Amino acid sequence: MKYCKSIFLILLLSVTIYSCTEKIDIKLDESYARLVVDGSLTTDTMSHIIKLKSSSSYFYNQPSPIVTGALVSITSGTDTYNLKEDSAGIYRTDPSVYGVAGQTYTLNIKLPNPLGGHTDYSATSTLNPVVPLDSVSLLFHPDWSEHGIWEVKCYVQEPPTIDFYRFMILKNRTLLTDTLNEWFVTDDKFFNGNYTNGATVAYLQQGSAKEGLAKGDTVTVEVNSIGKDYYNFILDAQAELRGSNPLFSGPSANVQGNINNGAIGFFTAYSTTRSFAIAPGLKKK
Amino acid sequence: MNNWKFNFVVPLSPLDLILFMRKFISFFIIILFLLSTFSSKAGSDENDQGKVTLSGYVHDQSNGELLIGVTVYCYELKTGAVSNMYGFYSLSLLPGKYTMRYSYVGFNTMEKEIRIDNNLTMDINLSPIESVLGEVVIIGKRTDENVRAPEMSMVKMDIKTIRKVPALLGEIDVIKVLQLLPGVQATSEGSTGFSVRGGNSDQNLILLDEATIHNASHLMGFFSVFNNDAVKDVTLYKGDIPAAYGGRLSSLLDVRMKDGNTKKFGFTGSIGTVSSKLTIESPIIKDRTSFLVSARRTYADLFLPLAKDENVRKSKLYFYDLNLKLSHVINENNRIYLSGYAGHDTFKNEFASMGFGNQTGSVRWNHLFSKKLFFNLSLIYSNYNYELGTPEGDANSFKWTSQMRDYSARFDFSYYISDKHMLRFGATTMYHEFFPGTANGLGSESAITEFKLPAEYALEHSLYGSDEFKLTPKFTLKYGIRFAVFQNIGPGTYYTFDQNYIPVDSTVYRKGNIFNSYTSLEPRLAFTFLASEVSSIKGSYSHAAQFLALAQNSTAGTPLDIWFPATPNVKPQLCDQVSIGYFRNFKKNMYEASVEVYYKNFRNVIDFRDHAQLLLNPYLEGELRIGKGYSYGIETLLRKNEGLLTGWISYTYSRSFRIIPEINEGNKYNAPYDKPHSLNIVVNYDFSKRVSASATWVYATGLPVTFPTGRATVGNAIIPIYSNRNAYRMPEYHRMDLSVSLKGRDKPGRKWHGEWNLSVYNAYNRHNAWAISFTHDAVDPNITYAKKTYLFAVIPALTYNFKF
Repeated sequence: MKYCKSIFLILLLSVTIYSCTEKIDIKLDESYARLVVDGSLTTDTMSHIIKLKSSSSYFYNQPSPIVTGALVSITSGTDTYNLKEDSAGIYRTDPSVYGVAGQTYTLNIKLPNPLGGHTDYSATSTLNPVVPLDSVSLLFHPDWSEHGIWEVKCYVQEPPTIDFYRFMILKNRTLLTDTLNEWFVTDDKFFNGNYTNGATVAYLQQGSAKEGLAKGDTVTVEVNSIGKDYYNFILDAQAELRGSNPLFSGPSANVQGNINNGAIGFFTAYSTTRSFAIAPGLKKK
Repeated sequence: MNNWKFNFVVPLSPLDLILFMRKFISFFIIILFLLSTFSSKAGSDENDQGKVTLSGYVHDQSNGELLIGVTVYCYELKTGAVSNMYGFYSLSLLPGKYTMRYSYVGFNTMEKEIRIDNNLTMDINLSPIESVLGEVVIIGKRTDENVRAPEMSMVKMDIKTIRKVPALLGEIDVIKVLQLLPGVQATSEGSTGFSVRGGNSDQNLILLDEATIHNASHLMGFFSVFNNDAVKDVTLYKGDIPAAYGGRLSSLLDVRMKDGNTKKFGFTGSIGTVSSKLTIESPIIKDRTSFLVSARRTYADLFLPLAKDENVRKSKLYFYDLNLKLSHVINENNRIYLSGYAGHDTFKNEFASMGFGNQTGSVRWNHLFSKKLFFNLSLIYSNYNYELGTPEGDANSFKWTSQMRDYSARFDFSYYISDKHMLRFGATTMYHEFFPGTANGLGSESAITEFKLPAEYALEHSLYGSDEFKLTPKFTLKYGIRFAVFQNIGPGTYYTFDQNYIPVDSTVYRKGNIFNSYTSLEPRLAFTFLASEVSSIKGSYSHAAQFLALAQNSTAGTPLDIWFPATPNVKPQLCDQVSIGYFRNFKKNMYEASVEVYYKNFRNVIDFRDHAQLLLNPYLEGELRIGKGYSYGIETLLRKNEGLLTGWISYTYSRSFRIIPEINEGNKYNAPYDKPHSLNIVVNYDFSKRVSASATWVYATGLPVTFPTGRATVGNAIIPIYSNRNAYRMPEYHRMDLSVSLKGRDKPGRKWHGEWNLSVYNAYNRHNAWAISFTHDAVDPNITYAKKTYLFAVIPALTYNFKF
């Protein structure tokens, strides 16, 4: 489906080639403040983070208000990990914690003061099995855009089950896909059970300081096997962030998270595997 | 109310299908037989009261085209008739001497003294008004059709009027002119999609020579498939849809192609900013056989090879239309028409390609069983398909196709029984094929496996009858009924869903197995009361069922939206409509005015869940949310059809709401095309024989929209938190368009007629919002703001039209 969406964007560009955009003043009503949860538990052994914030009015124009002093824990039923608030609004597990495939984890939050009418919130997420990544390759297209574009390709034996993936890209250990709208997510509708013979998972702009590659740079691809509800959450959020137009957009609608009691956001458990490729030098034109 | 369903529990075999088809055919044979016996009586053309019949065809004198909707009026009897879709009229009279009047907008009215003793066939040729200047304008002979016709909620547009309206990029479009009439709205800026009385755009039945056009748009909706050089007549029914047609809740747009010049060879064409077109028409046998070929193509891409960038040079972007028509008069009682249309859009660049188009064909046979019984048989084919893909040679390379086909037949009879009754009846049958989508990997390197949505098949039949009954000279009653049957037929895969719309089971039905049927009994009732010589009151009620819907969640839609049928999960959408209107002409019919009020009640209205996935989704039905809706409004129109200054002013107030349990927490919300206020002004002024100028001004309330009222930070991105569904509105829309046309000098003996047309779209450069998005500042992502996208600034265009 992701491919279809990128095609729509290309088609849309062709339609709106003569279109213009400009800022417009719009008066919006204020909505009540809600708890916003953003966190995950993965198969990596590390300190896992849950961030708690509050929602604000749309034109608040400052970083989201932080929610401090909450009691946060993650439990698998047998093991329970209590999270410590080491900086304001950021709650961490012990660095030795890792998630196990097949387990269902529950996040429990108890706030010191009610937010959005509640103090107690929870969410559950099941950790999906790992899909081993064979290898990653890089292909440079010098004629795509002015400075050229790197295509990041991925080789995986896709299992026969119905799966959903998120791909994160790192350049020399720096996360390039650091915001939600840069995450590439896909289902396996077109690949189910096949060997993905170099499916494209990212495009890197050589002209960009952040994404451009020099000889010897390492590009790491991290594959997260995620749940269907988190996959939908990301796609729906991305659709809302892309903005609306009368051709392809349905009515704007709230993005459905998995936290109860009307809180916004998501708690997800997922498995991670990685592979990397080293950038070759480019031939001089 | 008028809908019940029965399920065939026992699976049917192909043999059953054959039996079914045989039954169906024998049913038609019986009907035909009944009619022929009954017509042999009617064929005697004698009335109980010793009346005789005056009948014939009405033509345009200049090219032999049959004229639709010509008023035939008898002064002495103060009664009349109207020529039908094939230019035929029939009138019952007592033998005697009469003065007949034949009138039609844009044509010189003809008066004829006749002496009738026996049945009389009188074919009429009306001459078009070439120019009003310098000619004696005969006052008082204008038609009072607006007041008198037993039809309401109906608009007819002749091509001459359509041509005078300034157009986007000079590309004159019939649908865009209809959008300037009360109760008809564009779905978005510059779009040929339209909403009638607040309904969805898929609730309009669009017919081209009786063939359904499933997607009437070109170039993402900015142009329609109707090439005005090939179009003869455009009629839009916003309510009071004739019983002969059904299957849509909002409107019927009936577009008729020209039959081809029966008098002489000629061509017309134009060279425009976006496209050029050429139409050739000629008699093959004078006054008997004629043809028309009309072609249109855009040529923006013809300049692409000049581009510097190699990739741009390889791009493709164009559409074309091809209209074909062949008409033949076999003899006095038999005529045959062949019509064809093919159109296609092609878009291709280095990353993607897309194409879509309609192909339709119809064969029609007109037969006069007698001078009172007119029969038409139509065999119709209609196809819509699209394909989408990426170039070969990549792991992601794929091709995706989708198609929909209809095969149908219709039998229509018009029986002019007496001067009091006019009966219309007939039957239709249609076979639908849906191929919602197949995606394949392309090339050896592609890792994409085939993904295919199951095909669906359905049958749709109807029987109808209606009578136009002139109770008194002042009161006409029109009543009718339509009985429709819709059936899902195998092979097919049918999914059942649980309460949470998750598919839990599927059933595969064998070929020919009719596994679901819906029936619908649709009464129609209308009256016209002539309150005075110049005014009338009209009212109508109708019930309609719609068995197909378009999976379209955005306001303007795209060519990729697919049609899907009613199934056991998706009940037919139903609508009841009542409307009442007051019609008044002023200054001896110089001005026509009307006010109409309507109320519509919808059941089983389809909307889609939040973030619905409508493309390549085998569980599409699980994305639907069903509820009810209602709309109401008032439509006013003041129109001046003749004189140096012509045009109209229309104002509409309309509201449209939906109530769907799973949407907006079950609370009432504004329907997607709820636009309370809409004002259109269209004027044309003839300065001289050669120079005329036109202006239009449109104003409308913005469409309802959902805006954020809060925000949350997740994944380093600012996620909006929204208001209730459609709680806000886009900014108000207004725009002025202007055009001037200059005709070449007429010289005696000169056959070439040329005309320059300069048009300016959006003359005062209003930046009408096409879309409003919320985004964040590039430097400080915490600063959020709204931005609007507008499509068109001032757009001038020059077109040269020619005629030989």
